[in-house]
Amino acid sequence: MMLHFFEVDGVEKVGSDFTLDIDVLPSRAGDCFSHIGIAREIAAFTGMDYKEPEVKIKEKGESIEERVSMDVRGACSRYTLRVIDDVEVASSPTYIQKRLKTCGIKPINNVVDIANYVMLETGQPLHAFDAEKLGGEKIIVRYAKKREKIVTLDEKRYELQDSILVIADELSPIGIAGIKGGIVPEVDKETKKIFLEAANFDPLTIRRGSRNLKLRTDASLRFEHGISAELTQIAINRAASMIADIAGGRVVKGLKDYYPEKEEEKTVSFDVGDVRKVLGTDVSLKEIERILRALGFRVQRNQENFSVTVPYFRTDVSIKEDIIEEIGRIYGYKNIDPCAPKKEIVPTEKDENFDIENSYKDLWKSFGFSETYNYSFINEELSIHFDRKKLIELEKPVSLEFKYLRPSLLPGLIRNLAENQKNYEKIRIFEMGSVFYSEGGEKYQKKRIAFVSSADDFYSAKGKINLFLDKFFTEQIFYVESDENTIFSKKRLAKIVFGSSNSRQEELGALGEISSKIKEEMRIKGSVVIAELDLEKIKKFRRKTKTYEQIFRFPPSTRDVAVLVPKKTPYAEVEGKIKKEGGKMLRRAFLFDVYEGKEIPEGMKNLAFRLLFQAKNKTISSFEVNKLQEKIIKSLDGVSGWKTRSNK
Amino acid sequence: MKDISQLKEEFLKELKKAKKAEERRKICKKYIEEELSSVFCSIKNLAGEKRTKIGKEANELRRFILEQQKKEKEKRKEGEGWIDVTLPGNDPEMGTIHPLTQLQRRCVDIFSRMGFLAVEGPEMENEWYNFDALNFKEDHPVREMQDTLFVKQKNRESLPAKDKLLMRTQTSPVQVRYMEKRKPPFRIIVPGRVFRNEATDSSHEINFYQLEGLMVGENISVANFKAIINFFFQELFYDDIDFRLRPSFFPFTEPSFEVDISCSICAKKGCSVCKNTGWIEVMGAGMVHPNVLESAKVDSAKFNGFAFGVGLDRFAMIEHKIDDIRLFYGGDLRFLKQF
Repeated sequence: MMLHFFEVDGVEKVGSDFTLDIDVLPSRAGDCFSHIGIAREIAAFTGMDYKEPEVKIKEKGESIEERVSMDVRGACSRYTLRVIDDVEVASSPTYIQKRLKTCGIKPINNVVDIANYVMLETGQPLHAFDAEKLGGEKIIVRYAKKREKIVTLDEKRYELQDSILVIADELSPIGIAGIKGGIVPEVDKETKKIFLEAANFDPLTIRRGSRNLKLRTDASLRFEHGISAELTQIAINRAASMIADIAGGRVVKGLKDYYPEKEEEKTVSFDVGDVRKVLGTDVSLKEIERILRALGFRVQRNQENFSVTVPYFRTDVSIKEDIIEEIGRIYGYKNIDPCAPKKEIVPTEKDENFDIENSYKDLWKSFGFSETYNYSFINEELSIHFDRKKLIELEKPVSLEFKYLRPSLLPGLIRNLAENQKNYEKIRIFEMGSVFYSEGGEKYQKKRIAFVSSADDFYSAKGKINLFLDKFFTEQIFYVESDENTIFSKKRLAKIVFGSSNSRQEELGALGEISSKIKEEMRIKGSVVIAELDLEKIKKFRRKTKTYEQIFRFPPSTRDVAVLVPKKTPYAEVEGKIKKEGGKMLRRAFLFDVYEGKEIPEGMKNLAFRLLFQAKNKTISSFEVNKLQEKIIKSLDGVSGWKTRSNK
Repeated sequence: MKDISQLKEEFLKELKKAKKAEERRKICKKYIEEELSSVFCSIKNLAGEKRTKIGKEANELRRFILEQQKKEKEKRKEGEGWIDVTLPGNDPEMGTIHPLTQLQRRCVDIFSRMGFLAVEGPEMENEWYNFDALNFKEDHPVREMQDTLFVKQKNRESLPAKDKLLMRTQTSPVQVRYMEKRKPPFRIIVPGRVFRNEATDSSHEINFYQLEGLMVGENISVANFKAIINFFFQELFYDDIDFRLRPSFFPFTEPSFEVDISCSICAKKGCSVCKNTGWIEVMGAGMVHPNVLESAKVDSAKFNGFAFGVGLDRFAMIEHKIDDIRLFYGGDLRFLKQF
C-alpha cells in the first residue's frame, strides 16, 4: 500500500474489527479523508473492484420550497438542505454504532450517527438540526456579529468575531459553520422534524475560524483542506436515504440547493511521450488507461494522445504532471529502471567558496583547533553583551534560549569552552558560520570564523592568525588597539585591520582576551584568547597565487640594536622606524627580547632587535652595514624619550 | 714467541667464551696491549724476511681485533638507546573537523564527480523564496507542515512576501535563487543549515543540515533520478544499498516521492533504527513542479528536472551510530575529538 499510495502508521484490532491508521498526504485530504476514497485507491493498485453505496430516496409530501427558505451570504460555495419529517430518534443499529466506535466517534442517536457515518464514508461533513427548535423557517449563512455568543453541542460557550461564519435562524446563530453545531437545535429523543445540511465552505475562512476559536473538529479538518462542492449532494442524499430507512423518516420533496457557481470539470491533455519523458520508462497505452479509469478519471484516447476528465473529488489534480504522478505511482516506481542521464557535457562553473572554506578549516585543525557547531541563536542572558538595536529577534521561538539570532559566533564558542573545562585543560575550538544583525533598518547575514583558546596566549594566537592570513591573503594586515567590544577584555583587545593608512583601513575582525565579567559569569578558569574574523571581508583580500620570492645567494650580515623606550610605546612604532631607515638592504628586523625590570629605568622597556642585512646582487661590506646601523640608531635616538644601546 | 695464527685462534676462543660485553672488551684490550705488543717487541730481534712476514701478520691481527673492539662499542651504544616501544605515544596537538563538515565534504565530492556544483544561499530567507516561489499556496495548511521560525518585524503583515523574513525551513529556496540568474541545464547541490521551530529532543533540533540536489535540462526523468541517487547511496555508505521510492507530497515537486534506503544495520531484518521495517526514510524528492521552474524564469515547456533533499544529520547518525542529534550542536570535545 505504501509503495503506491499512503503510509499506514498502524493496524489495530478493535473488537472483532481492525483499524488502519493511514497517513493521508495533505494534498489528498479532498478525497481520501473518507472510506470511499481509500477503497478507490486500493482498488486501483490491486486491480480489484469497488462499489459505491446505492442511494434511493423515496420523497413524499409537499415541496421543500414551502417549508424552508435560505439566505446565504459569505464564504459558502454551496449549501444544500433536506427536510425530513416524522423521524423516530433512537439508538442506531449495532453495526453503525460499532463502526463509529471503531473509528473513534461516540454514538449519540440514529440521526446524528448517520450524519457522522456518512461523513466518514464520503468525506462530506453533515449536520442535522431539530427544525422545531429553530426560530423561524429560514436558514441564514452569514458572518457572526461582533461579540455574538453561541453554546455548542458540547455545552461550551464561545464568543465570536465577525470573521467567523455562522449558520443562523432569524434570531441567533445555530451553529459555527463548518466547525461545530449549536446546542439550541440539538436533535434529541423528542425531535420529529429535521433540517439536514451538507454545505461547502471556504477553506481559509474555516481554518482561520478554527484557529481563532482553538476548536478543531472532524468537520473543520475536512473543510480547511478543501473538498469538492459536488460532494454535498451525494452525501446529503445518502444520509437522507439512510435516515428514512433507519429512523423511519419521510423525506420532503426536493433538495434546497444554493450553488451559484457550479464547479467546472477539469480536462487535462497529454500524450504518451510526456509520460515517457517524466518517468523515463514506457508505460503501455492500455496500462495508462486502466490506471486512470480505476482512479475515476474519464479517459479519451486518440492514438497516443489522451484527454482525461478529472473526477470532481480529485481537487488536487489540474496539470499533466499531476496525471503523470497518478500513472507513476500506480504503475509502481520500483518498476522504473535507473538510467544514467545522457547529456552532452556542459562544464559547470566553479564556486570556490566550498573549497576555500574547507582549506581554512583544515589549517585551523592543524593548529590544534577542533571545529564546533553551535545554535544560530542566543538567549537574553548573552544578548546583554551586544548592542540591543543590532539584535534580530525571533517571533515566538519554542524556547527563550533561541530568542535572538546570534550577532557573533563568540558566545557559543565561549560557552563550549566553559563546558569543556570540566574535562579538558587545553581547549582550542573554532567555528565557521553565519551571524545576523540589523543596521540602519537593514538586516544582514554574514559568514564569520571565530576561535577560542585556553591553550594560547595573545601572542601565540596572533601568530596563528598571522600565518592564516599570510597563507591565504594579502600581507597588509595590522593590529590596532581597541576597547570597543564588551566580550573582550578592555585592555587586551586588538582590531584586525587591512591597510596601514586610516583612509584605506577596513576592519576585518578582532583578537583579544576574554573580559573578566564574562569569565566570572560563565565560571571560566584561566586566561582565554578569543578572535573573530569576517570571512567575506577577508576573502576580498584573497590571494589566488603566491609569487615566488627569490632566495638571496649572497651572505647576510647581522647587527643587534637594543632600544630603551617608554613602556607604552607600541612595538609597531619602533619597528616601523627601523624598517624605514634600514631600507631595501634590511631584510629582516627580528625582535628577540622584550625586557623590563631590574637595571632598566622605571616606566621603560628594552626592545632588542637582530637586524639582518642582505643584498640581492652582491655581498654587502661591513662598511655599508655599519653605516645603515648608525643611521637606524641615530633615527631611534632622535625620538624624545628613546635611547639605543648597541653593540657591533 | 707465539705463532700469530695460533694467537688469533686463542683470541677468538676467549672472545666466544666471554658472555658479558665487559669481559669481551677486556679481552680485546689484553690482546692488543699485552699479547700483540710483546709480539711487536720481539720481532725487532728477528731478521729480514721473517721479520717482514710476522710483522705483516701481526698488523693484520691487530686490525682484526680493533674491528672487534669497534663492533663491541657499537653494540654498547645501541644498548644505551633502548626504548620501550610499547609505551603509549604522545597525542599530537591536532584539532578535528566536525562530523557534519566531513559528511558534507564527502557528499560534495560524490556529486561533483557527476558534474554537480556545490552552491550556497542565505539562512535568513524571505517568504517569497521559501514558500511562494516553491509553490506553497498562501495560507494553505501545507505551509504549516513545517514549523517556521519567523523574524520579528514591525508591521510584518503589511510587508510584501519578499520582505517578510524567516529562517529557511529547507535548502530548496536556493534552487530558485540559482536558476533565476542562469540558463539551463543545471546540476547543483546545496548543503546548508535549515531551521524548524520545534522543541528539541534526541531526534529533533531547531537547526540542522540539509543537502539539496537539483538537475534540470531537457528530458530529465524519474529513471535518471534513480540512477543519480543510486550512485550517491552506494558511494556514501561504501556498501550495497537498496532503495525505494514511495509516493509523497511536496508543493514544489510533482510527482513527489519519499526515498527509503535499506537498513544497513540489520540488513533489512528489522531493528530499532529502522523501527522493524528494514527501511529508513532518508530523502524527499520529486520532479520539479512547473510552477517552481516558472518562478525561477525557466521555460517549463522545454525544461524539466528533479530535485531532492536529504537530512545530513540523519545520515551522520546512521553512519556513526549516534543516538542523539543534539551532540552535533553541543560543542562537547569528548564527542568532537572522536572524528
